[in-house]
Amino acid sequence: MRVAVLGCGTMGGVHARSYAKLKDVELVGVCDVEEDEAVRLANACGTTAYSRFEDMLDEGRPDVVSICLPTSLHCMYTVMAAEAGVHVICEKPVSSTAKEAEMMDVICRANQVQLLIAHVGRFFPAYTDVARQIKAGVIGKPGVVHARRIGPHPGLMKNWYNKEWDSGGVIMDLMIHDIDYMRSLLGEVRSVYAQRRTFPHLDYAWVTLRFEQGAIANLEGMWGYPGPFQTSMEFAGDRGVIHANSEVAKSVMIHRAVGSAERISTTGADPSREHTPIVLRKSPEFETAYDRELSHFIQCIQSGSQPEVTFQDACMASRVARAALESAHSGLPVNMLGFEEKGGLIG
Amino acid sequence: MKRLRIGMISFAHSHAFSYYRELAAIENAEVVAIADENRERVQSLLEHGHLSYYDDYRDMLKLPEIDAVIICSENVNHASMVMDSARAGKHVLCEKPLGVAMDEMKIMIEICSKYGVQLMTAFPCRYLPAVVETKKALERGDIGQVVAVKGYNRGTAPEGWFVESSLSGGGAILDHTVHIADLLRWLFKREPLAVYAEQGHLFHDLEVEDSGMVHIEFDQGMIAFIDTSWSRNRKFPFWGDLKLDIIGTEGVIHMDAFAQKNEVYSDLEDKARWSYWGERMNYYMLQDFVDALVAEKGVPVTGEDGLLATTIALAAYESIQRESKVTMEKENEHGVLYGQ
Repeated sequence: MRVAVLGCGTMGGVHARSYAKLKDVELVGVCDVEEDEAVRLANACGTTAYSRFEDMLDEGRPDVVSICLPTSLHCMYTVMAAEAGVHVICEKPVSSTAKEAEMMDVICRANQVQLLIAHVGRFFPAYTDVARQIKAGVIGKPGVVHARRIGPHPGLMKNWYNKEWDSGGVIMDLMIHDIDYMRSLLGEVRSVYAQRRTFPHLDYAWVTLRFEQGAIANLEGMWGYPGPFQTSMEFAGDRGVIHANSEVAKSVMIHRAVGSAERISTTGADPSREHTPIVLRKSPEFETAYDRELSHFIQCIQSGSQPEVTFQDACMASRVARAALESAHSGLPVNMLGFEEKGGLIG
Repeated sequence: MKRLRIGMISFAHSHAFSYYRELAAIENAEVVAIADENRERVQSLLEHGHLSYYDDYRDMLKLPEIDAVIICSENVNHASMVMDSARAGKHVLCEKPLGVAMDEMKIMIEICSKYGVQLMTAFPCRYLPAVVETKKALERGDIGQVVAVKGYNRGTAPEGWFVESSLSGGGAILDHTVHIADLLRWLFKREPLAVYAEQGHLFHDLEVEDSGMVHIEFDQGMIAFIDTSWSRNRKFPFWGDLKLDIIGTEGVIHMDAFAQKNEVYSDLEDKARWSYWGERMNYYMLQDFVDALVAEKGVPVTGEDGLLATTIALAAYESIQRESKVTMEKENEHGVLYGQ
């Protein structure tokens, strides 16, 4: 399978590094309008750098392209790839508007290429473990649920995150992982109530989802958390409780004495080598969630089978996120029945 | 030193037993009498011999040697007991929720004021070391302006009168909204403007709701959330929790009041257990109540505090019934003021 990556930012880097590791996959190129970024990533992954998508399609002849661009560009480039006969793995959220998502779907079908949306949240092993146990009935019927996803503000690194129209803020860009995950376990959402507070360096929101099957879930998202990125969740059912917390799962913790960096340089060790920070806490993995997700997607493209997270799932998650944005804006609950698209994100 | 002489009215709420035990360690107080129509319930306490027992609390109220009473009855009986106690000239510490409806709570406060007795609502959470420490951090301005607070006060489903609405006045929402509602008012000095709530009958087969999510808009742009659910199952290692995640413009405070615990795994017990070794809030609350009365100063947690915390729970029920957000009505009568 020949694979290419469009966009060499954070997610482009993740996809490219994943493909470089995967067997049966040849990374034929990475592309970014910023040529420096493309060159840097190409060198790191042993592939060719491009600054024009058309060139990468013509010369690289990929079977599949990963689209790792800002959300507002997902539709345009998916269409371009589809019309070139290339299957598409597109980052989440699927698109800026429901209409764009529909267009992506229609054009990919028309060109007989597959379209998969990279909702990686379901592929984290802690999350698959919880899902497996809940489906096995270990806690009975889930009733009250919490999820948290908090970390530094990505707008400090890349400005498009700071624009509500482009990113949809913390709800559409970050919390959407938990929206999708909860749908996978609790079913369809009946109503949404959201509250949100934003400042230039802080985007904090909680969204309460009432599910058709009766459960209530409160999802919390934060950009601008003054600590390490972390996730946690809890499901309380009528037969038990299951709790997951990424902070507690950090199986390796390294504390270095201050001043050991100086010691290394006086003994002549290579100062250009990246040193371990003073405190390092990590949950190490041989295979990352992105590795699992992308190898699953590649397999689905090869076999034509339906992926674990479908295009429909991606659209539904985005729809719930848009309802949450409206609720946060109006201060009122939103009923999903008859929730109409107004053609885009609420600014 | 003057000793405060206390009569306890009703042990329907099990906290009464804890209060009784803690009072034994409080030097400037003593329990002299117990009134409970259910003698069997308090029999073990009477065996010590030095306590007077009354079947009818109104007889106990006639005793001139009682200075104050502690009321731990079923929720719906708080009002009549508080008012009778006030008329008898006894100061009152009343279990939460103060009452089950706005009107009765207003009258309770009015009557206590009229008869010149102090009315304190039992909000022991103010006396948890983690809560006191959090208050100091907020006063220092450690996290800047507070914009959001997510609170958890989960518990285990109770039994008996607690789950009969004619005696309790409600379920998990009434039971578990008020502690955090009081902390939100006390820690942040803000008043609620609007409430939206969801409830559920999700864990047990009960007449009352066993789960709730209460969303509050406070003044000055602060939002708050409380999970009030009786969602801790039988094999959960602890009764519940009291947690606040406080989001400020310049930082975050994570407070888990019962985190000071050890984990116990015993073949002699039927489940794993968390053993809380932190300081006991009931003791410090009772000491503060007693000290205030002995020094003839105002009690630290008033009837108004009890009323205002309960209004948030009542607004939650209103929101659930209307299936929409409810705006709080500002009250200026009966000495109940917002924005203090």
